[in-house]
Amino acid sequence: MAQSILKRIASGEKSAVQECLNAYGGLVWSLALRMLSNSEEAEDAVQEIFIDVWKNSERFDENQASETTFVAMIARRRLIDRLRKESRRPNIDSLEDILSEPENSDQDIQVCVEAKEAAQAMKNLRPEQRQVLHLSIVQGYSHQEISDALDMPLGTVKTHARRGLIQVREDLGLGDSENGKEVTA
Amino acid sequence: MTNEIKERMLELLSDQAIFDLNKEELMELEQLKNQFPDWVNNSSFELTAAAIGMSDVKLVVMPEKLRAKILSNAENYFSPEVVNSETNNRQSFGSLNTETVGINLEAAEKRPFWQWLGWGIAAAACALLAINLWATRFQPQQEIVKESKTIQTPTPELSILQRRDQLIAAAPDIVRTKLEPPKGEKNISGDVVWSNSLQKGYVTFHGMPVNNPAKATYQLWVFDETQNDKYPISAGIFDVNENGEVIVPIDTELKVKKPKMFAVTEEKPGGVVVSDRENLVAIAKV
Repeated sequence: MAQSILKRIASGEKSAVQECLNAYGGLVWSLALRMLSNSEEAEDAVQEIFIDVWKNSERFDENQASETTFVAMIARRRLIDRLRKESRRPNIDSLEDILSEPENSDQDIQVCVEAKEAAQAMKNLRPEQRQVLHLSIVQGYSHQEISDALDMPLGTVKTHARRGLIQVREDLGLGDSENGKEVTA
Repeated sequence: MTNEIKERMLELLSDQAIFDLNKEELMELEQLKNQFPDWVNNSSFELTAAAIGMSDVKLVVMPEKLRAKILSNAENYFSPEVVNSETNNRQSFGSLNTETVGINLEAAEKRPFWQWLGWGIAAAACALLAINLWATRFQPQQEIVKESKTIQTPTPELSILQRRDQLIAAAPDIVRTKLEPPKGEKNISGDVVWSNSLQKGYVTFHGMPVNNPAKATYQLWVFDETQNDKYPISAGIFDVNENGEVIVPIDTELKVKKPKMFAVTEEKPGGVVVSDRENLVAIAKV
């Protein structure tokens, strides 16, 4: 079995950096464009994200998640940090547009097995759980903003989000009901 | 772990992955993780959120100009200087896991011979410097810091002084600031060196009073401009068992974004989560 790109970056194999860009450049760029307000800022963020990816390449464990999900996790954290730091809104036209189509489209490209499984797991959630998770994770809204938009108590927003995330985590096989040992990245 | 504690841990980890935590929640989570170390590095919630975030993404091709910038960043990031220093000190540069990376970008391969000669001379000079440091400054018997369990164990090959020197030499953004007692009443001096990009640093003390570990310990703190001053980031605890120069690594569990002050307090054995700052020993403003 071929060694992962990130392991090869960590061990110094030639050309792995370019392969990393070939494999995940589009994904990271797409996530940045979706979350941030303009392409200039997205460019800055993407550069930071790839430095984070290189820094953390040795932490990747292919037994726990796919390389794509690992890279997306690093990207998401960096993008959220940017949003929170500047107290800015994610890059969307209006909340009404989002609320009108909370479910994922089957026509969207799914970039890895986990993304496809996550999309399926989202469909299995209760509608309110799916809606809250979509607004928070996909669109980057804070719990307070979701509470205001949906006229839903803050505690209820959190409960829906937690239960939804825990359910998807179990559906993806990332969770263990007894302890936290099994997934570290 | 009781069901109640487990439920609370799941709640906090979920909230952290979805919304981020406020300061109080973050403190609570850190306390729980201290009790249950198996959960310290659990990323399953973050990975789940990442998978959901990808589930409806519409892929767009990255612009060629941006790709070129990132490749240029890679060339700088994996430069031989960084690789050499990382090779020598894997443990103390824990946030950078690139110790054996030899960059092989196309641009690098096309360098003329004289440029490679320059790198070769630089590498040889680094090796000589390392040998010189080892021969002249390696004095483990003078390391008088008894590091507690909460501070990462240093690599056995290099002294803490050598690791500090390496950080100063290798970090592109080293900050150095003077350490002094808060009101100047004690004869304590020293400095702090810190690299934000590497998230590593060292505090050097002179005149630090010896403490009795059974009664008290010293605790390091980092005040971050982006965080509430009420909750500085703990950077480890340490004891001083001899007079003289003391060097302590700055070991933060949380990422420091924009440090504005480093501080040392005297606390109860084992340290505290939140200091009342009654016994502030020294500070270093950035």
